[in-house]
Amino acid sequence: MSDTKERKLTIARAMAESVAQYMRKDEKVFVMGEDIGVLGGVYGNTRGLIEEFGEERIRDTPISETAFMGAAVGAAQNGMRPIVELMFVDFFGVCFDQIYNNMAKNIYFSGGNVKVPMVLMTSTGGGYSDGGQHSQCVYGTFAHLPGMKVVAPSNAYDAKGLMNAAIREDSPVVYMYHKGLQGMGWLGTERGATVNTPEEYYEVEIGKASVVREGTDVSIVSLGMGVHHALKAAAELEESGVSAEVVDLRSLVPLDRDTIRASVAKTGRLIVVDEDYHSFGVSGEVIASVVEHDISVLKAAPQRVAFPDVPIPYAKIMEQFCLPNADKIVATYKKMAA
Amino acid sequence: MQPTLEQKMWMYEKMVVSRRYEEAIAAAYMEGKSPVFNMANGPVPGEMHLSNGQEPCAVGVCAHLKDEDTVTATHRPHHQAIAKGVDLKRMTSEIFGKANGLGGGRGGHMHLFDDDVNFACSGIIGQGLGPAVGAALSQTMQKKSGIAVAYIGEGAANQGAFHESLNLAAVWNLPVVFIIEDNSWGISVSKQKSTAVEKNSVRAAGYGMPGEYVAGNDPLEIFKVAGEAIERARAGKGPTLLELQTSRLAGHFIGDAEGYRPEGEKDALEADDPITKFRSHLIEQGDATEQEIENIETAAQAQVDEAIAHARASEDPAPEDALTSVFA
Amino acid sequence: MSIDVIIPDDLWEEDNEGVITSWLVSDGATVEVGTLVAEVMVEKIQCEVESPAAGTIKITKEEDDVVNKGDVIAHIEA
Ligand SMILES: Cc1ncc(C[n+]2csc(CCOP(=O)(O)OP(=O)(O)O)c2C)c(N)n1
Repeated sequence: MSDTKERKLTIARAMAESVAQYMRKDEKVFVMGEDIGVLGGVYGNTRGLIEEFGEERIRDTPISETAFMGAAVGAAQNGMRPIVELMFVDFFGVCFDQIYNNMAKNIYFSGGNVKVPMVLMTSTGGGYSDGGQHSQCVYGTFAHLPGMKVVAPSNAYDAKGLMNAAIREDSPVVYMYHKGLQGMGWLGTERGATVNTPEEYYEVEIGKASVVREGTDVSIVSLGMGVHHALKAAAELEESGVSAEVVDLRSLVPLDRDTIRASVAKTGRLIVVDEDYHSFGVSGEVIASVVEHDISVLKAAPQRVAFPDVPIPYAKIMEQFCLPNADKIVATYKKMAA
Repeated sequence: MQPTLEQKMWMYEKMVVSRRYEEAIAAAYMEGKSPVFNMANGPVPGEMHLSNGQEPCAVGVCAHLKDEDTVTATHRPHHQAIAKGVDLKRMTSEIFGKANGLGGGRGGHMHLFDDDVNFACSGIIGQGLGPAVGAALSQTMQKKSGIAVAYIGEGAANQGAFHESLNLAAVWNLPVVFIIEDNSWGISVSKQKSTAVEKNSVRAAGYGMPGEYVAGNDPLEIFKVAGEAIERARAGKGPTLLELQTSRLAGHFIGDAEGYRPEGEKDALEADDPITKFRSHLIEQGDATEQEIENIETAAQAQVDEAIAHARASEDPAPEDALTSVFA
Repeated sequence: MSIDVIIPDDLWEEDNEGVITSWLVSDGATVEVGTLVAEVMVEKIQCEVESPAAGTIKITKEEDDVVNKGDVIAHIEA
């Protein structure tokens, strides 16, 4: 019977569990951010921590992002392992200097003498009409700027394993979780994100993509919520006899170009699905990894299903028009194969 | 500085319109969200931050403003918008995501822009402070008479933007009035836990400008103190910082379980409703009869109902409209 | 023997309806006493439902189903 024993977690629970387990064994780990204490994080990912670890290690901050991001960098360089949260990735504008000019560069500037072991958690994504300052992904922005590792889980298993790896990492890691995958009912959670998650410690290696569905006709490469759109599209394509492979990037930095290339070498077709803006971002980079390497494997020009280059509109009808979805992926494939 | 009878009645009317408006928005917001509370559902999706209890801060200040004066508001903007004279129908259409909304449905409740009355708001804490300074700078450089008011919550006074903007307005002697609405909570974090000083008004000293704390959530008191600050600004004497004690009668946003509030706080605040108190004051002072007050309330409700009905009956935008208006 | 998994009367304060947002075990899984089996959301608050017995769980209410206090949402076959 023990093989039927399972423990499904939402991503919110998986993140909180990883942090709690790590905090029990390493006193240097602490958490700070807005509303992460009594409230347990707007997206539930710090639920239960203040009850167990108290206000000394679970610190609600003032709305002073430049100060507490900078403090995280300083604490990390000084021997602690801070986990710092800013609840929406959209808010980073107010403190970006501490992130891309400081957190991300100090290891390099010091010639490797300084370590910056910090994790920066932030939520991404829209689809629930929260408007253009509460719905962005900006994955590409973080991935573009050198010096920070970037991860974005699509399910609870990866969420826990990536969090463990991120906390242990001596370089800064930006941990981007999608609101629609958190398991918060009020955001209409994607079910596929709540999966079996071991209680014991394990890591998912930062920089390793995962082939979450094997196929032979097209590679659909995505991250976060896009993986679930891709899986739905793959199921739909299967009905018309098309075998789609789905690659979950899981990490953007480092980017697992080998897995992408191997997949496209097999299928000959590439669709990148990205909820971030279309231009100058993840989708272009994934395509470049293939075409720079070996153009001869391609049976069709690579395509992308991404958010158009406009701020995210509030009205549902307009936002949904812009967002990637399974139908758009299927239609894109049909055009490619025609 | 005392309001005229007309100004008093205007303030009461706007406070009631604002409260009725929030009640109507709350009802519309909950449509399609019960029993399953999914933010994406219903005619008004997304987050919704209500201003119930904070009406005195809006009317006591805006009673002194003209259309050419700029207001930059927060993520909790409805009371401020109503007091500044933002078109209620177009604002409501925007909140319902309709094509005839202020932004054609692109902005939503945190992004209301009405150029006719120089009103704007935003979803990033502290974001409006710089633009208020800029509006004041522009008026000054153009030798025009408008001033600017930047509204923020007390939580935002811990943002770098607050301190930088105060300093900038002061060194350039600009006609800006900074208004902090102190409802003592920034989502779940209390002012006491987040702020090194009891009153943010003392921070004005660090930027060489007058600062005053106004207790009581009383529109008349706010009218007086704000009037003096605005007069100073208009007279070219530079910026002022005012912190207004107020109360957040609703959750941070609709659906907030408010588990962080101390027991009894909510009941105490509700028992101290500024609208009820102002109403009694008007009657006791003989400013208005019960009947006159009721007439105002009926008219306020009608105005709100009309705006909501207008929004509901309006057309959705075309999906492709999402791609327009990116550039001027 | 079969034991019902019931939404406890004290899971939330008021008498309003909730919704199952996540099953944290699959139908047919083995559970222990106290295993967290489901999350129920009431308005925006999430509540946890634990297994009252050890055994194999047979789920009778799906995710997104609306539930009231006292409702049976699964059975445990001991
Ligand atoms: C830069 C930034 N950080 C954090 C947030 C998230 N947030 C939204 S409202 C809020 C609390 C604001 O408190 P306060 O300024 O006191 O205004 P109130 O909500 O009480 O009206 C926070 C932290 C944000 N919108 N922008």
